[in-house]
Amino acid sequence: MTELDLEASRYAAEPLALPTDSDRKEPLLRRAMRFWPYYLMVLPALVWFVLFLFWPTFQGFLISFQKFGLMGSRGYIGLENYQKALHDRTVVRAFFNTVTITLGITIGNTLLPMLPALALAEVTPKWARQGLQSVIYAPHLLGWVIIIGIWVNVMSPIGLVNSILIGVGLIQQPITFFSSPAWGQPLVIGLTIWKDLGFNALIYYAALMSLNTELIEAAEMDGARTFHKVRDIVLPHLVPAIRVVFLITLLGASHTFDSAFLMLNGRTAETVRTLAIFTYERGILRFDLGIASAAGVLLLMFSLTLAFAARLLPGFRKQGL
Amino acid sequence: MLMSRNARVFAWVFLVGLAMTMIIPLINVLATSFTTKAGSLQPGVIMWPETFSVEGYVTLFNRMRFWLPFTNTMIVTVIGTILHVLLCSIAGYALAEADLPGRKWIMGFILATLAVPTQAILVPLFIVFRDFGLLDKLLSLIIVDLVSAFSIILMKTYFENVPGQIVESARLDGASHARLFWDFYVPLSLPGIITIAVFEMVTKYNLFIHPLLFIRDPNKTTLQIALQSVVGGESNVSTNDFIAPNVMMAGIVVALVPLLFFFGVFQRYLISGMTLGGVKE
Repeated sequence: MTELDLEASRYAAEPLALPTDSDRKEPLLRRAMRFWPYYLMVLPALVWFVLFLFWPTFQGFLISFQKFGLMGSRGYIGLENYQKALHDRTVVRAFFNTVTITLGITIGNTLLPMLPALALAEVTPKWARQGLQSVIYAPHLLGWVIIIGIWVNVMSPIGLVNSILIGVGLIQQPITFFSSPAWGQPLVIGLTIWKDLGFNALIYYAALMSLNTELIEAAEMDGARTFHKVRDIVLPHLVPAIRVVFLITLLGASHTFDSAFLMLNGRTAETVRTLAIFTYERGILRFDLGIASAAGVLLLMFSLTLAFAARLLPGFRKQGL
Repeated sequence: MLMSRNARVFAWVFLVGLAMTMIIPLINVLATSFTTKAGSLQPGVIMWPETFSVEGYVTLFNRMRFWLPFTNTMIVTVIGTILHVLLCSIAGYALAEADLPGRKWIMGFILATLAVPTQAILVPLFIVFRDFGLLDKLLSLIIVDLVSAFSIILMKTYFENVPGQIVESARLDGASHARLFWDFYVPLSLPGIITIAVFEMVTKYNLFIHPLLFIRDPNKTTLQIALQSVVGGESNVSTNDFIAPNVMMAGIVVALVPLLFFFGVFQRYLISGMTLGGVKE
């Protein structure tokens, strides 16, 4: 959520620098002393980041190199936890689940929100547009427990979706969506897309609003078809926004937890268990700290690798993390 | 915008269809929640309660003591948001000072925090909170997300846009930082403050991973966790009764109402973050 919104806000407003009037010749330390109240004001935030973010991250690295028993650490054992993790069938499976889910969510949530964004731009009475905009944005605010609760009800064997599918004659027997392995990943991906579609659509819609409509009018005069207007005028204009949406969904998807965790049961565990869920099950529920921390470090590496790899794609150089 | 009749028709059909995927499930949930236990167990899709009943809500609040997690979540949300807004805005105020020596380093440090997702450090996070003696305390959930790079940077941006001339005369009169902050910066950056407050309230209200990690005591449990045990079909209170669908859906409605009400009031701020850049035209 945080990096997501940060990207959006950065995209929305470029910071303006105020002119400076300071005396640059003053020695650095003296100048810094003069600013002590400012440092005092940032200090609580910095202390928080150190204590509750960087310190745990560092701890995670340390634990991953140690052997842990019931009585605590039993000393450093080098890379043994990593070796164990990489040979653990569950970890490997969880890794591939994470990759598939990340791919699905990223592709879906980068491309699909363009449709509602384009559609919103077509709706003319302002109140209708704003109403539709609010309704499709709303799921973004709902916690995963609520979302899963709603959809488990709608997609239960006697629920709305199955009733419709049977009524139309597409299926004979109801589909047990939330307890079949094959439906696990599609549901994690699909419901994540459903949740964030409106949010991403708003980013695209905001970008569309800055499109010069004269270009479209000119194309209309030249007899261009709708498809060509979208392909040759609208899409190129959206490229910077596509970059932003791609990056925030990619990073968000790589550490999927809540959605998959809430869909996890005896039947679906194999297909929806992500690396983040594995670290919780092994580390917190079974208190097998070493291998869980190693898996956590692997997840962190995966997420950082994606972030850096994404920056190497053409045109991504200027984008922040 | 595309100047095509077909595109307009398609747009309407598509958006209304999409909106229906939000609205129809909600009606289904709402109708089921107002059905009797027996009614909710009958086959068939409920889009309107046949016999109207608040049985589900009564069970939820009386038998399952749902008000308890609700109160806990409210405490965490209110205190957590106030502290979050306070700490992030004073940090943003300090960082908005362009002359601050080392400002770039501090900003780099804050941006680096975005690289570490909570989900990747669940185990050490649990260990650190345990070592600090924070397990089973609501304080742990207030500490979670107490400051965030997003809020600090957003506030910094807002404060930087406060025109210097307005503040200059007060500054020359020798006004203190506290005075400048409360009398000028806060009122002039109110939309920013409301934006981070609103986002933080939603985050705190929806906290799930952290209470899952830190809270075992049933008296300290929060809304999302309690809802999970209702919807998931296993109760955390000492009843072994089967939880009927009307009770489950009542739980969802109770959790949903404050959120939707909140969205109705503050949607301008929730949406503005994204649309600000667009309305330049």
